[in-house]
Amino acid sequence: MTHAGELISAYLDGELPRSEVEQLFRHLSSCGRCSAEMQDLQAVRSAVRSLPLLELPPGLIPEADAELIPLHRNRGFLVGAAAAVVALVIAVAAIFTPSTAAISVEELNSRYGARASLDPAFGPAKVVVPQLTDVLE
Amino acid sequence: MTESVPLTWEEVARVYGRKIYNFAYRLTGNSDDASDLVQEVLLRVRKGLASYQPGSFEGWLWRITRNAFLDDVRRRNRRPTAPLPDEVDRWDRASSPSADAEYSRITLGDDVQKALLELPVEFREAVILCDVVGLSYEEIAQAVAVPVGTVRSRIHRGRKLLRESLT
Repeated sequence: MTHAGELISAYLDGELPRSEVEQLFRHLSSCGRCSAEMQDLQAVRSAVRSLPLLELPPGLIPEADAELIPLHRNRGFLVGAAAAVVALVIAVAAIFTPSTAAISVEELNSRYGARASLDPAFGPAKVVVPQLTDVLE
Repeated sequence: MTESVPLTWEEVARVYGRKIYNFAYRLTGNSDDASDLVQEVLLRVRKGLASYQPGSFEGWLWRITRNAFLDDVRRRNRRPTAPLPDEVDRWDRASSPSADAEYSRITLGDDVQKALLELPVEFREAVILCDVVGLSYEEIAQAVAVPVGTVRSRIHRGRKLLRESLT
């Protein structure tokens, strides 16, 4: 063997057959240049392997941002369930709301002590509570 | 090597997304190009899964990834030359604590990253597939479509060039 050459990298990567490992070490025992090269390449290999494992930029792959429920099977069900819950909450709110859908700022202030500071130039503010029939349409 | 084939594109994205991004980042040296490459790879995976033949899934995946990278390199070479963006300069350190932490992580291996970018592409991809992605020589040979002996030679020559850059 003239010099070990690429046998060194193959050895460092565990890719050298046992028979060649013995041959390599016989050579290294008598070749200072290859021994030094082995040390250098081991350091280089470690440096590359020590590069930090980077996080994915947020939003690049939404599937990898969190453990998701399989998209193609259950997402439709979940979206439907969430919509049903929202509709139920709004429906309950509508049931317990007086039939007059418009509430003046004065009434809000007196009922909840809320401070609804709006430009008087636009007249009394109106908060429109959606009716059940509007939501379900 | 993982021989079982992920069933869906979403699973490929979830399981391999970060690995692909790290491979892409080390090949390109900046987050924007790496992100573009990841998107392109996942697009190709999505199209290719329908016709995927059972075999070495990772070999197939990394072949797609390096081909997408080489296509991008060829496209850039045809365009008027524009300087590659400097990731460290552009990184918004003040944007968030996580961005700051990520900045530190990048600069930690900055000299090694610069040395990688100086390597010829075929040496760079072989070294990164070996030392960053963690593939065996056989897997790299499948991904790059060259004999194992060529992989061994490229990795060795790549490391020797890295040594020269880093010393």
